[in-house]
Amino acid sequence: MLSFLVRRLLSGIAMLAVISTLAYLLMFMTGTDIARNLLGQNASEEAVAARAAQLGLDQPLLTRYVDWVSGALHGDLGTSWFSSVPVTELVGQRLGVTLSLVFLSTFFAALVAVIVGVIAAVHRGWIDRGLQVGSIVGAAIPNYLVALVLVIVLAIQLKWFEPTGYTRPQDSISGWLMSITLPVLALVVTTVAGVAQQVRGSLIDALRQDYVRTLRSRGLPEWRVVLLHALRNAAGPALSVLALLFVGLLGGAVIIEQLFAIPGAGSLAISSTSQGDIPVVMGLVVAIAVIVLVVNLVIDILQGWFNPKVRIS
Amino acid sequence: MRRIVAAVGAAALTLGLAACGGGGGTTSSEDTSTAASDHASLVIGELSYPTGFDVNGYSIAHYVQYFNAVFDTLIRQDGDGNLVPGLATEWTYDDARTTLTLTLQDGITFTDGSPFNADAVVANVENFQASSTPDLSNAQYVESVEAVDDTHVAYHLSAPDPMLTTWLTGSFGFMAAPDSFANPDVATNPVGTGPYTLNIDKTVTGSTYVFDKNPDYWDDSYVVYDTLTINYYETQTALLNAIQGNQVDAATFMDVTSMDQVEAAGYTVYTSQLDWMGLLFYDRDGTVDKPLGDVRVRQAINYAIDKQTILDVIQLGHGTVTSQPFGEATAGYQADLDDYYGYDPEKATSLLAEAGYADGFSLDMPNSSALNQDLLSAIQTQLADVGITVTLTDTGANFITDLLGGKFTSSWMQLASANDWQFAQLALVPNATFNMFGTQSPELDALFETMQTGTDEEAAAAAQEVNTYVVENAWFAPFYRIDNFYVGNSSVVVTPAADNASPYLYLIQPAS
Amino acid sequence: MSEALTTQSAPAADPETAVPSLGRRLLKDPLGVGALGFLLLVVLAAVFAGVIAPYGWNDQVLADALQGPSSTHPLGTDGAGRDVLSFLLYGGRFSLASAALAVVVAVGLGAVSGLIAGYFGRWFDSLGSWAANILLALPAMIVLLAARSVVGPSAWWAMGIFGVILSASVFRLVRAAVQGVRNELYVDAARVSGLSDVRIIFRHVLRVVRAPIIIQVASIASVAIAVQAGLEFIGMGDPEIPSWGKALNNGFTKIYQQPMLVLWPGLLIALTCLALTLIANALRDALENTGATQPKAPGHAGTPGATQSSVEDVPLLEVHGLRIAYGVPGGVKEVVHGIDLDVRAGEVLGLIGESGSGKTQTAFGIMGLLPVGGGITGGRVLWHGEDLVSKPAKELAALRGNKIAYIPQEPMSNLDPSFTIGYQLVEPLRQHLRMSRAQARERARELLARVGIPDPARTMRSYPHEVSGGMAQRVLIAGAISCEPELLIADEPTTALDVTVQADILELLRSLQQDLQMGVILVTHNFGVVADLCDRVAVMQEGLIVERGDIREVFADPQHPYTRQLFDAILSEDDVRPAYVAREMAR
Repeated sequence: MLSFLVRRLLSGIAMLAVISTLAYLLMFMTGTDIARNLLGQNASEEAVAARAAQLGLDQPLLTRYVDWVSGALHGDLGTSWFSSVPVTELVGQRLGVTLSLVFLSTFFAALVAVIVGVIAAVHRGWIDRGLQVGSIVGAAIPNYLVALVLVIVLAIQLKWFEPTGYTRPQDSISGWLMSITLPVLALVVTTVAGVAQQVRGSLIDALRQDYVRTLRSRGLPEWRVVLLHALRNAAGPALSVLALLFVGLLGGAVIIEQLFAIPGAGSLAISSTSQGDIPVVMGLVVAIAVIVLVVNLVIDILQGWFNPKVRIS
Repeated sequence: MRRIVAAVGAAALTLGLAACGGGGGTTSSEDTSTAASDHASLVIGELSYPTGFDVNGYSIAHYVQYFNAVFDTLIRQDGDGNLVPGLATEWTYDDARTTLTLTLQDGITFTDGSPFNADAVVANVENFQASSTPDLSNAQYVESVEAVDDTHVAYHLSAPDPMLTTWLTGSFGFMAAPDSFANPDVATNPVGTGPYTLNIDKTVTGSTYVFDKNPDYWDDSYVVYDTLTINYYETQTALLNAIQGNQVDAATFMDVTSMDQVEAAGYTVYTSQLDWMGLLFYDRDGTVDKPLGDVRVRQAINYAIDKQTILDVIQLGHGTVTSQPFGEATAGYQADLDDYYGYDPEKATSLLAEAGYADGFSLDMPNSSALNQDLLSAIQTQLADVGITVTLTDTGANFITDLLGGKFTSSWMQLASANDWQFAQLALVPNATFNMFGTQSPELDALFETMQTGTDEEAAAAAQEVNTYVVENAWFAPFYRIDNFYVGNSSVVVTPAADNASPYLYLIQPAS
Repeated sequence: MSEALTTQSAPAADPETAVPSLGRRLLKDPLGVGALGFLLLVVLAAVFAGVIAPYGWNDQVLADALQGPSSTHPLGTDGAGRDVLSFLLYGGRFSLASAALAVVVAVGLGAVSGLIAGYFGRWFDSLGSWAANILLALPAMIVLLAARSVVGPSAWWAMGIFGVILSASVFRLVRAAVQGVRNELYVDAARVSGLSDVRIIFRHVLRVVRAPIIIQVASIASVAIAVQAGLEFIGMGDPEIPSWGKALNNGFTKIYQQPMLVLWPGLLIALTCLALTLIANALRDALENTGATQPKAPGHAGTPGATQSSVEDVPLLEVHGLRIAYGVPGGVKEVVHGIDLDVRAGEVLGLIGESGSGKTQTAFGIMGLLPVGGGITGGRVLWHGEDLVSKPAKELAALRGNKIAYIPQEPMSNLDPSFTIGYQLVEPLRQHLRMSRAQARERARELLARVGIPDPARTMRSYPHEVSGGMAQRVLIAGAISCEPELLIADEPTTALDVTVQADILELLRSLQQDLQMGVILVTHNFGVVADLCDRVAVMQEGLIVERGDIREVFADPQHPYTRQLFDAILSEDDVRPAYVAREMAR
């Protein structure tokens, strides 16, 4: 198990290196005139040229990349060109918000998906059909439309929630819960059916296994067969789905954060990508890659817990 | 757990109150507005945030309130655009209009305790000149600045600058503590003499900016709130939701299609006209696109556009159709030029035929996802009706760069035209930012000279002549001056600025 | 007494011949047909947009903007005065084509690389999995944002790149399926028989992966259409091309002025995605032969029970006229055609027949453990004279494991891989005998010792994959007898084991049967096993019992030609049949 984890960790680090290099090259190739974007349409050419020099944009690509890598290795991801804030601080500030959003959504999506998936797998019938329809429609209806409907109905009409904004948990736990409910709901609503569909699939696979019949032949109550034995064996595939769900929600948060004016990494990603704020984009790429890496590692460890074969080897 | 219960209770309470009030536009059930009535807090919604509070981030337009909160300007403007004292109590030009002398308020200190005086002004000007700030051109005529004594400072100019005193109400007039220039956190921890200080702990860069009242603020001529919050919204939709939820007291708002929702939510819409929209021709000598060199072609395009319909559909009528680039507040403005080019496609066709383009020609214009696509396709359709094929090339994030780099011979554009000389410098003089192909005529050059160096009356007359010239020669094809909106709820009274998109912060005051 | 029963002509048992072609089966699913029709309509409308559409997609009369439906504009006009119907018709071209592009790229890239990686493994597998991990680790939206700034706003590029991102999940799917199949014995067998790799892949592997890929295609197409709309929403769309996503977003910006503008494209997108899913589901059902109606057990339409001779002679178990059927698309296929059986306390009954004869189905039917899709359609199963067919599931469960126990044929797949052997033994003891945890563990150790496991404590701690097949079968036997059942149903208990172990297991069963005085139904294809253990025998062929009687009589004088044929088989195959042939296909 340990060597397995070490192997995963090493491959993750290699992955990080590849992703960050690719991202850097991509961002460089965009040819976005960052200095002009920073200064706006009324600025003179002199001011733009001065700013470009100040940001080191006149340096060759290799020099800049080497500088970035050596800085990154020392934990210094540079300073945002657009907001003059150190990238580690900016990304750190934003990432916590996104993570709380994504973790909560993952948790609730997984919870509801398991419940619905189990019911569909055991009872089939209309719940099952409904789930299949729901999963595809959920994937196809853009989450911003769902979010907008939620805002209009629950926040603007009924005034149960604030339509926009984010309260930090350290400022007020209840305020935080109120501010995060709608975004989480919007994310969960659009993803839960798809995940439930996956849970259903792997549970049905598990229920088709021979040992399920044998367990039943031993007279175990059905709930024990389904919820303990079959579900635990379905956990392996379902956990992989969870990892994908997490990454998917991370992407989904991009739009949702923008709509709810939540200061998360997603809205930072959109603005810094379109502004060409390379230090921030790089910081985000590295941070997201690290998080995905960690989440996958945790999933691997959980896999081992659920699947004794992995644990031994 | 108790807090959660409290939250649910609060939600139920809010719901109950809303139900009792019948959903009317009153805001009395909202914490923010009741608080605002005793000047506890002001919440502003914005669609932009500054790149930083250091000199490189200085900016006005929609950014101005962020800076007004922490910095005083040397001169201020009232709602009619009149210059009124700020940190400077008086300002006078010499006869040649090349030296401007300011008299400064005495005894004011920055929030770090250092004194504000003539030396501080000199340091700020020099810091500005040495920077790469967007408004660097504000200082283009300032050769040197001199501390005459502790409360007098003299700006020595290389040539008269009719705009200088106006610049001193904006970026060039922001006064920061000279000691802070070298601070590593100068961009995020501003030190000024302003009404507020930035609360760094509660501020999330690029999202929420929280300001606390400066307890030692020197100016009691206007109300300073205990806290000021400026929330940044990435999209119009998010801002609209915040307004409908009454989460902001005042906000910039640009989306004409949802003005009804804003008013239904109990907000007052304040309107001013600062910019015009339309087509700009850059290659007026026809060096790249030969047809544009012919004045008849440019006039034909002016006649081919159904400005009123575009205004009605795209802007929902929020604007005024015009054919002149000078705004109503300028001296160069002439009311009768507004309808100089009516909608007359037949005349357009015959002008094109006269110019030898009976079979039409094609034009390449820049596109960007930030532009209104409905508007662009309307332009395409209407020009196609007179035989001009418009192709649109996407410029990604480099719309302005590509334009200013001379990659296009014409484009759709929105330009500010609230000041004569400012507009001339932006779009008319030979080296103007938006005169990329350097169109020039001796006649105009003489007029520009008068605008810059003449007396107010001479300058005004020259501006009118310039205006007439560029309209007759169809330098542009203006469609309409657009309404600029700012909204406020019942807790505030807003006075729109005469020449700036967002009101200066001191123009947003509590309703009595 | 030995009786030969008349052979009835049974319905064809071969599923391949009984099932009509894929297309015909698909057409029998009304939802599938409806969805197919809708999709066809949408595709045709898009293809012939130039003919059908009343206007060009970008024809606009600005003065007519934001009108409601009218005779000139059936769906009204948008914010630029374009005809909504025409825009959607032309938009369909792009939306469908770009979704198709994403599908082709994702499936082409993912399936081919997944096949290679899964089948040949080695460095390609490592490289492919690694690349797939990278693709899956990056939020697609962010990659598309970055890519857009490099390749420009072209939606074709965006969808192509999106296809590449999605290919990672197809790759994983195919790779896993192929790996599973590759290790299956029948591919090994195919290899031995000299088939080339390519033919193996096409014959076996593709059959396994096609259903999941079809599902994947539907969801990729749906997600592609949705992502397109998402890109439009954040202002990263393609300004040159009409699409449903663009129509949706145009409507979104005018939602307060003309809410209908969101409705039409939203409906179109939702219905198209729905149709895609329904078609995929119908196709999968047709391919997997599932989803058919479950045959219903008739209330109690069984044949009346045989008269019971005397009270003390009541058999443990009596089966009368038992019929078992499976639902297939468009009908029901019967696999057991009304059979009678009985077992007395302490008696061993051999149920013998070839693969597919219905003997295993009979065993499952008795226990009420038929797989999904199967059901008892007639007859009665009497346990001490009480009918089990109509018994509530809960009461039946209380009987199973406690009074009626079961030993499966394949030891390894019949132990839950995720739990220790000890846990699986303790569970029924606590359930049926209400033992405490400690008591149950003690009892489990005794049981393991009883079935001849040398180190019970260690085996208790082991997971199933840590023990050998023979050990696993002993564990299963220990589990079956743990509550000292009255009836033991053993389904080919030795078939999957090494020849050397087979005799030991049979010996164990014999001694247990004698100790506990259990009634036993021994399901087997092997007359040698029957001769060893059984008191009586019933011979099954094609869902019917063709001969039954006392073991000695049947051996001495087999009446039915099929019985004689089975005897011949013992002699010719020499007791060594390759394990995989013996596996019941009807499992």
